[in-house]
Amino acid sequence: MPSLLPMRLFWQAVAAAFVVIGVAGGVVMLSVGGVPLLLQAAGPAAVATILSALAVGLLARQVNITLARNTEKMRLHYERELTRKTAELRSTLENMHQGVAMYDADYKLLTWNQQFREYLDMPDEFFRRDRSFIDYLRYLGERGEFGEQNIESVIAQRVEQLKRVHSFERTRPDGTVLDVYRAPTPDGGFIAIYTDITERKQAEQELMRAMEAAEAANRVKSGFLANMSHELRTPLNAIIGYSQMLQEEAQDAGQSDLLPDLEKIENAGKHLLGLINDILDLSKIEAGRMTVFIEETNVASVVIEVRGIIEPLAAKNGNRLVVDCPAEFGTIETDVTKLKQSLLNLLSNASKFTKNGTVELAVARDSDRVIFRVTDTGIGMSEEQMGRLFQAFAQADSSTTRKFGGTGLGLVITRHFARMLGGDVSVTSRPGQGSTFSLVLPARQADAISQAGAAAQQQSGTTPRRTVSGDVAGECAVLVIDDDEAVHDTVGNMLGREGYRVLHARTGREALDIARKERPDAITLDVMMPQMDGWSVLTALKNDNALADIPVIMLSMLNERAIAVQLGAAGYITKPIDWGQLSTMLSRLGGRGGGARVLIVDDDPEMRGVTRRMLERSGYIVGEATNGEEGLTWLEANPAPAVILLDLMMPVMDGFEFLERVRASATWRELPVIVVTAKVLDASDIEILRRLTQRVIEKGASTAVDLRGAIREVLKSRGAAAKATTA
Amino acid sequence: MAKILLVEDNEMNRDMLSRRLERKGFEVVMAPDGQQGVALAASEAPDLILMDMSLPVVDGWEATRRVKANDATRGIPVIALTAHAMVGDREKALNAGCDDYDTKPVDFPRLLGKIELLLQRGKE
Repeated sequence: MPSLLPMRLFWQAVAAAFVVIGVAGGVVMLSVGGVPLLLQAAGPAAVATILSALAVGLLARQVNITLARNTEKMRLHYERELTRKTAELRSTLENMHQGVAMYDADYKLLTWNQQFREYLDMPDEFFRRDRSFIDYLRYLGERGEFGEQNIESVIAQRVEQLKRVHSFERTRPDGTVLDVYRAPTPDGGFIAIYTDITERKQAEQELMRAMEAAEAANRVKSGFLANMSHELRTPLNAIIGYSQMLQEEAQDAGQSDLLPDLEKIENAGKHLLGLINDILDLSKIEAGRMTVFIEETNVASVVIEVRGIIEPLAAKNGNRLVVDCPAEFGTIETDVTKLKQSLLNLLSNASKFTKNGTVELAVARDSDRVIFRVTDTGIGMSEEQMGRLFQAFAQADSSTTRKFGGTGLGLVITRHFARMLGGDVSVTSRPGQGSTFSLVLPARQADAISQAGAAAQQQSGTTPRRTVSGDVAGECAVLVIDDDEAVHDTVGNMLGREGYRVLHARTGREALDIARKERPDAITLDVMMPQMDGWSVLTALKNDNALADIPVIMLSMLNERAIAVQLGAAGYITKPIDWGQLSTMLSRLGGRGGGARVLIVDDDPEMRGVTRRMLERSGYIVGEATNGEEGLTWLEANPAPAVILLDLMMPVMDGFEFLERVRASATWRELPVIVVTAKVLDASDIEILRRLTQRVIEKGASTAVDLRGAIREVLKSRGAAAKATTA
Repeated sequence: MAKILLVEDNEMNRDMLSRRLERKGFEVVMAPDGQQGVALAASEAPDLILMDMSLPVVDGWEATRRVKANDATRGIPVIALTAHAMVGDREKALNAGCDDYDTKPVDFPRLLGKIELLLQRGKE
């Protein structure tokens, strides 16, 4: 086999080469001499396989060693990295002003910083792995931090809170105010961040106080002016009335030479009345006392009425009055008085500033809006003048006042009215070329609600937001909590009309502050709010001993009644708000009476009626009896009332006998009795009444006021006594 | 000629309005407060009452309620007069049982129109 020799030589060389590689790798595997023998026996193919396997094995081993070295390097690298990051995190945490803590899914403490330890005032034992946040809450409860509330239910509530982002404020015993923010983490635990906001709080409070003082001063001024309306108008009444009367008498007596002077007095009086009315209207708007009364009305008939008043005014300056409003224009839902006053303002301005020209009123409908356009061919205005047009006490040019008269408040009032009604008023003009004023109002009030919201949002930078509105002197206060200005406007107006004093809060924080300070009779609370949502506000309210008994009505887009009830809401209304429903709910809940029962024993039906109405408005449930005997029958048939209002002089059984009987009974001995009487009391009467009753009130003009105060006082002292005995 | 009861606490307004009404041929009786107003409504049986709303002793709303609660005086039309030119006051006056409403300062021709209308309605 001549070919075998060179082949053998070749394989020997290959084998030798591998062995060299093997040796070079530092591993001696086979005896060199044996290989060719093996090769010769097995044949070249098998040898190749074996050698390749050997080579791969050697290589793999080499790679393994390298890999192991690399892994070790990486581990060290990551360890260093981890140490560095941990140190970074630690130093970040420790250098923060906030206290930070992270809890795992079992609410056990994972990480915290020193600030957290200081802020939280948590005993050391709770920094162990086997103690959880729940244990800590229980510890707080046992320490008495939850007041008289059931500890386990507070814990359940707090744990429920942990599933949502929430925040609240906590005042520590040393007066430090902490902002506590908690948010769930993806692994089921939560992170808690504590911020010391004492300084910010103080600054806020000072600012608040300053703002309140300023607002109060403005309210006092506006309230004074609004109250003065009667005082200001009465003498004017006399001036206008007597001058008119004298004109009639002068005419009858044939002394017509006196007429022009008398007419001048009358006109000056009427002019002054107009000015006073403007100032008073603006005061009323600023005092939050201007209410809106919406009714459906025929647009054409309003226009005809306005035309009748303006025609002589336009004619005085030689102006032609053009009115473009089809008789079949249809209706608008709005406050007619305010619409008329607005149109009269615009048209009388146009007539005043135009001479021998045209004044036009055109009415048009634009989908769901009605546009009243007043165009004149008068002196017009520059851009700069237009800018000042709607500002109070800033007539376009002070010389204007001298030339044209007026306070310049008409447009300001018109704009206020338009916005109260969900619309607005705007102007286009050029000097010397006349002006066009457009009053745009929603045709239906359902539209107005959303538009008022939009307008309010646009305006929020410039228009002061109301903090209190409605009947400012109202007996019952309702706190409206919502981030939507439209709701403040509409709910505020609605409640104001019903005689409530309305307090406004835009955030949860603000709401809690106001609630603590004002102790409203009821609260309406929006669920969807940024920062602190309605549920968190509700929980905070219910966790505060001083506020927990204020009924809260939740307002929401969704039906979440079950949660609301669970968290302690007294009522639940789905948006859009049904006024009737809200009003009924409030009258049921509201009022300081809070459903307390009052028995009136009086033989005078009128007195009973007046008292009943007064009490029911304040939220009491009223029972009536016409004499002492009926009173006793009522007491037997009904659960004991919180207080009895007793007249003394009655047929069948008088008040004294009734009192003796009530005090003799074991069940009724402690019932508070307030005597309301017209009887002139002698010394012995007074002695008896002092012994047997809580309070004596004389019937008269101020009975209602005295009575409300007395009932509240009696109930309050009873409530305190009851608390003292249970505690 | 028709008899009008004017219930008004302000002396000047009372004097002025009564003289103007008398010149138009009405017989006018006057009361300075709500309580006397209610009493005069019963004893004088006027054809119409002009009732100011802010009155001492018993206010105009309550006085109207009492006039309308009494069978003997219920049929007498009552026009409320008030300086408060507010819509709420109109509602309040009508709720109290007033038949019509006018604001002060009185626009005499307009008030006369309302008086005539109510008197005519009474005759029919």
